[in-house]
Amino acid sequence: MFRKHITRHLSAYHHGELSGDEKLRVEAHLRECAHCRRGYDEVRLGAQLASTLSLSEAPESTWNDLLKLRSASSGPSRPSRRQWIPQAVFAGLAAAAVIVIVGIFSWNSFWRSPSWEVTGLPGTPRLRAGQVLETDSSSTAQVKVANIGQITLDPNTRIRLLVTRSDEHRIALDHGRLEAATWAPPRLFIVETPSAAAVDLGCKYTLEVEDDGSSLLHVILGLVALERGGRETIVPAGAFCRTLAAPGTPFFEDSSERFQSALRDLDSGVVGPERTRQLEIILQEARVRDALSLWHLLPRLDPESRGLIYDRLAQLLPPPSGVTRDGIIALDRAMLDSWKKVVSQLWQ
Amino acid sequence: MEQIIDDSTIEACQRGDSDAFRLLFEAYKDRVYSIALCFFDGNEATAKDVTQDVFVKLFISISQFQNRSEFSTWLYRLVTNTCLDRRRASRRLLSFGNSREIEIPDQRRSVEEKYIQRELEASVRKVIAGMKPRLRITVLLKYFEDLSYEEIAVVLGCSKGTVASRLNRAHQILARKLSHHV
Repeated sequence: MFRKHITRHLSAYHHGELSGDEKLRVEAHLRECAHCRRGYDEVRLGAQLASTLSLSEAPESTWNDLLKLRSASSGPSRPSRRQWIPQAVFAGLAAAAVIVIVGIFSWNSFWRSPSWEVTGLPGTPRLRAGQVLETDSSSTAQVKVANIGQITLDPNTRIRLLVTRSDEHRIALDHGRLEAATWAPPRLFIVETPSAAAVDLGCKYTLEVEDDGSSLLHVILGLVALERGGRETIVPAGAFCRTLAAPGTPFFEDSSERFQSALRDLDSGVVGPERTRQLEIILQEARVRDALSLWHLLPRLDPESRGLIYDRLAQLLPPPSGVTRDGIIALDRAMLDSWKKVVSQLWQ
Repeated sequence: MEQIIDDSTIEACQRGDSDAFRLLFEAYKDRVYSIALCFFDGNEATAKDVTQDVFVKLFISISQFQNRSEFSTWLYRLVTNTCLDRRRASRRLLSFGNSREIEIPDQRRSVEEKYIQRELEASVRKVIAGMKPRLRITVLLKYFEDLSYEEIAVVLGCSKGTVASRLNRAHQILARKLSHHV
């Protein structure tokens, strides 16, 4: 029987999601524990209520409107989404049939030649592989990322289109700032910066590259992986990551200023007593949510520092059974993976 | 996860087969619309807009789908991100004082008068619409799509434990707010 209350297992139990062994243990606990039985009654009632949800039929007009949207979006200019949608209703079946044909043609031609249409920069209608796109101090630009998303360039920004093909779209951000939004399967869209590659895992984010080659990533929705030289940093929604020579340590935007400042110093490679002092600040200031940062620091510091991080992380999020201090200090892959399942729930 | 569309249909879509597009649309449209409708508290215009957004994105990028994940996983991830993104945009509008542009019509009155069951469902929808977005989308994927915890975890990019925890919380909220209905 579970010694502790089992409220966190109750929905999984109700939905038949537990293993045979777990199920037996929950049932044994429920027989003995009035508190959890009340909790289970509540979960069952909630599930019964949620089960009343039924599908609603999408309006009949959705398909035809979809064709109109698709047809309109394949035109030469598309300043805003609202303007894609014709306000007039199509008069008759014949007109609808024409639109169907046009729409289907547009889809076909669209993915045969995925293009990077540019708006906002006169004289540059589209971007091709090998070309550079640069905004000056007074201009911005919107670029359609083939058929998988869109990026917006701030003033004083330069990008280069490196690769565009069905299984990879890769640009370089030399300097400046862009906002990217994509709807492609993960890992199709990559932005190279001088210090790391930002690999899109299905999301929306901003990325800024300074003149010295360092960068700042802010993820608004979804996840982005920063990769370089075998090092990977996962940055979830609501988090930032600064990158100097390699992907830095991610941190949530609501972490304390002292925490962020110490993390910046640590990422910049301070050594000796100063490094110890900054790590102490990080450990003092860390909240449960900041396990995101502590987790990423583990493999990046020396064994002694790793031990200190283990101690703090274990206070915030106790490791699962079988995960030991020595194992984590030795960077045991199985133990790291086991603990990561617990830690990663914080940013999911 | 129920496999509504087989691989040959997806391959036909990738070749530009219009019949296959229509088949795919018909197979998923009500599911996508239902999730969006419930997510946006019964706002039909927004739900339709989200449905169109999802299928436009789907159709123009399906050529690049390479079976690295289940098709339906990708689709529901698209639905999730579109809903969350749209909500974010709505919040921005609200924060700039344009609240009159956001209309959430109360369309349940006539339904309530007809069926008690519908009344209960409307109450459930209302409570779900008031939940935090991540909680909301987890409930909708479970109860509209009947996805397993593992499948929901893959769609949302989180762990099974997170899914279990969110559903626990959602069930509690529903029970506590609507216990007087049953």
